[in-house]
Amino acid sequence: MRRFYRMAKCLYIFIVLLCFHVRGQVDSIQIIRQVNVSTFMALLKEKSYNLVIDREDIETLQPTDIGDLLRKTPGANLKSYGGLGGLKTISMRGLGANHSSMVVDGVPLNNSQTGQVNLGQLIVDNVEQLTSSIGLNSNFLIPVSAQISGSNFMIKTMENSFSSDTLTIRANFGYGSFGQTKGYIGVKFNPNKFFVSAFGSRQQAEGNYNYSIVNGCFPLNETRKNNNYLDHNYGVSGGVKLKKGTWKIGYHRKSIRQELPGAVIYYNETADEKLETDSDRLFTDFKWRANKLYARVFFNGTIEKQRYFDPTYLNVAGQIDNTYTNRNLNGGVSFMRYFRQWSMFGGVEETVSDLVVNDSLFAKPIRLHTYAMLGVRYNHPLFCLTGQASSQYVYEQDKNGGDSKERVRFNPFLSLKTRELGEGLQLELWYRNSFRVPSFNELYYTNIGNVNLLPEDAHQINMGFLWLLQGDKFNFDLKSNIFVNHVKNKIVAVPTKNLFIWSMQNVGRTNTFGGELKLEAKYKTRNHWAFVLNTNYTYQKTVDVTDPSSPTYLHQIAYIPEHTVNTDLTLMFRRTGVRISNYVVSKRYALNENILANELEGFFLMDASIFHTFKVGSSQSLKLIGNVKNALNSSYAYIRSYIMPGINYSISLSYAFN
Amino acid sequence: MRLISLVFVLILVVSCIKDKPKPVPLSGVLSNGVVVLCEGLFQQNNTSLSWVGNDGSISNTLFATKSGRQLGDTGNDIKRYGAKVYVVVNVSSTVEVIDANTFNPIKQISMQSGGVPKQPRSIDFYNGKAYVTCYDGYVDVIDTVSLAVIERIPVGLNPEGLTVSGSKLYVSNSGGLNTPVMDSTLSVIDLNSNTEIQKITVGLNPGRCITDDEGDVYVVARGDYAGVSSKMIRINTVSDNVVNSFDLGVSGITKMNDKFLISNYDFSSGQSSLALFDPVLDVVVNSSYIDVSGFTTLYGVGFNPYTNTLFISDAMGFTNSGYVYEYSSLGTQISSAHVGLNPSKFLFYE
Repeated sequence: MRRFYRMAKCLYIFIVLLCFHVRGQVDSIQIIRQVNVSTFMALLKEKSYNLVIDREDIETLQPTDIGDLLRKTPGANLKSYGGLGGLKTISMRGLGANHSSMVVDGVPLNNSQTGQVNLGQLIVDNVEQLTSSIGLNSNFLIPVSAQISGSNFMIKTMENSFSSDTLTIRANFGYGSFGQTKGYIGVKFNPNKFFVSAFGSRQQAEGNYNYSIVNGCFPLNETRKNNNYLDHNYGVSGGVKLKKGTWKIGYHRKSIRQELPGAVIYYNETADEKLETDSDRLFTDFKWRANKLYARVFFNGTIEKQRYFDPTYLNVAGQIDNTYTNRNLNGGVSFMRYFRQWSMFGGVEETVSDLVVNDSLFAKPIRLHTYAMLGVRYNHPLFCLTGQASSQYVYEQDKNGGDSKERVRFNPFLSLKTRELGEGLQLELWYRNSFRVPSFNELYYTNIGNVNLLPEDAHQINMGFLWLLQGDKFNFDLKSNIFVNHVKNKIVAVPTKNLFIWSMQNVGRTNTFGGELKLEAKYKTRNHWAFVLNTNYTYQKTVDVTDPSSPTYLHQIAYIPEHTVNTDLTLMFRRTGVRISNYVVSKRYALNENILANELEGFFLMDASIFHTFKVGSSQSLKLIGNVKNALNSSYAYIRSYIMPGINYSISLSYAFN
Repeated sequence: MRLISLVFVLILVVSCIKDKPKPVPLSGVLSNGVVVLCEGLFQQNNTSLSWVGNDGSISNTLFATKSGRQLGDTGNDIKRYGAKVYVVVNVSSTVEVIDANTFNPIKQISMQSGGVPKQPRSIDFYNGKAYVTCYDGYVDVIDTVSLAVIERIPVGLNPEGLTVSGSKLYVSNSGGLNTPVMDSTLSVIDLNSNTEIQKITVGLNPGRCITDDEGDVYVVARGDYAGVSSKMIRINTVSDNVVNSFDLGVSGITKMNDKFLISNYDFSSGQSSLALFDPVLDVVVNSSYIDVSGFTTLYGVGFNPYTNTLFISDAMGFTNSGYVYEYSSLGTQISSAHVGLNPSKFLFYE
């Protein structure tokens, strides 16, 4: 197996070198000259620096959740604790995961308790499109909180959007390793003036998975236990087309029952913790247009209840049984007004949230968070200049009697984007200042929380280029960015009372320097063959610059790899295809001190899928997909002691009507 | 572009040729130095033992080199009894028994009860038996010949430190996992019957215990790290009563000949101090016996009776690899060694 593994790595080197070689050839023969300007300008309007993953990609990749998809984003760093539904977060370009916002169908997902969304608990079955955006988001009607955050991820679902077809049906059924079964069905009825839709999904897994690990010189093949998982997601939506706008309303419910496998501890395999999650979300969205003015109003209410249960905790009660109820009420207004060469955009958003815990020691915090933003864009024939200023006001009170807190921040953003430079080249330069407020857990969690925490500030500077080519059979899309970030008042956990009692502190300053390179190439032949290459490389040097006398000064921050590579290769013949998906992460460190003892080995993952689409008439399709994940059975971990699964398989059948 | 390609190829080639470390032959006898227990960090599986020789030699992988495997997660105590060394590993819930001369592993004792980890913390010995405090509310008795747990003695909540005085064992019940309602008692165990005969109230969150030359027991009550300050309490082991209480900033006590070294790391101010205490006179002889104000995090203190020198460790904020400094009894620094993560305990070899 080891020999095969090495051979596969060598094959991978060859493929990547080939990619760069092909790019060199493209340079030399200057295909770019063949692209006429009008085609290119059209492409500029459609393409952007954003990463877009559509339904077709999702079907062939068979990701377990949204986190699995977002790891493909250039600049993204996935942290996964393993297990179906286990905690997964994405941080972008060395900023913490709390600097990113998640927007589903134009409405933000809020969680003031943790400050971040667990991507491992977001299903992918109903996702039509996933867009990852950092820098300028030209959709100025998205919520202000997302527009001014460090980066944002936007999900568009089937059931909550208007479509051109009267009836749309999506269904997906799958079976996989670890006793995993899943099913999803979504139906949308969309006559001319309105739509109504409903969806439901269920996923279950026994979850225990085999893994291999080396303890010193001894290879161990163990099973990660306490991994049972069951989730249900369902919802209904509706929308009406009005004379000058649209109005949508929807309700989603999520219910998850999962066991927590915990860390792999040498010589101690016990794990018995459980987590129950119930979430209800009601949202509505009104869009309106009058001449050159576009406006939008949304409201979103979420109640998420989590019960954590440890039946063998060594306290007097002999257990921990805590329930955390996080309520978020969120609403906002956004607008955009076009003038001749100018446009103006802006909005306000308000979030009220609180946390109730069945623990008398825990605080009862309530928070009001106000966002306001105003921006202008100047469209010159050669460039586009965008500037925005935003402010945030946070007021917080502990209903148990703690001091109230007020925080105010002003955050500017400036972007200069060229229309065209030379032939087929577009440049972009932007600066963003953003911040994130501490979560309720960071502020109030018993023993760990620190009510005096300051918000974490981030400054980002980015310079990028975008180069597009398009021919009859050939599409070529190259994007690159160089970025410099600085974070101050970084919120980190440090031991404050003893080795076991850690607390949150504003002690960190980090600098990041990095670059991203993304290449998409498509080639079609006349005899029905098609080849698609999608690859990106990220270099991130994120170092601690807190204290020059510290042993970690200028050391790479824990769990951020310097090098990340994603390469997807798809070969299609008519309706049958093979997709090889490769993911390489270089070594990381489990702590900020970059010494051998803290080193986590880099890893290489290869997933492979084979699929065939059966067409039934002009409007129905059936897609059969076989998928192998971690095909080389690599032993790997994103987080030390949280070992991920070895090779695993799945087979699924997707049905689509329109 | 070529540079990126080159970097990429180098990463993969290096990862291709990297091999796992091989165990070195188990040979040699330890002498003239100190074994340092480096606790590591929770859920990192990185407890380690460092060897610091009097000749300046350092090995930070002593156990891994001798055994070919890791000790586990969060080591808490190390002591020698006869020809064996016992290492208590808390989160892995094991007691590693090692040959004291060769340091070859002898046996790993799993400390679980009904499938639940007992979370062992500290160890002491009496009459051929090892006594191990376990966070599940018991003191386990291990036969040092068969190396098996032969008895469990129920005590208070989350027992932590322990010390033998005469034929009695004193166990501090911390209640550390029941914050904020922690325990405040010291269990007294009759070692002839292995039963708890009394509980003495000593102060909130008791931890380290030590016995002086007169047989009296001193225990550190660490308080709640907030409103209730730490203090040291003296117990008369004949009457089993509290006979004195000292309002000191104290996190650890170490015996140095007939004196005590009182160490303290103040978490709120980040200040470290090391005082000399005379248990005969019950007074602090010197409140700044060794100047440790430059330490980042004073953690472990040991006295080497063979060289008459002090060993003091700096845990460097608990998340960086630590340092061990050797001082003469007059307070002059003799040497230093860069060791593993969170060095806390010392085992000296002549």
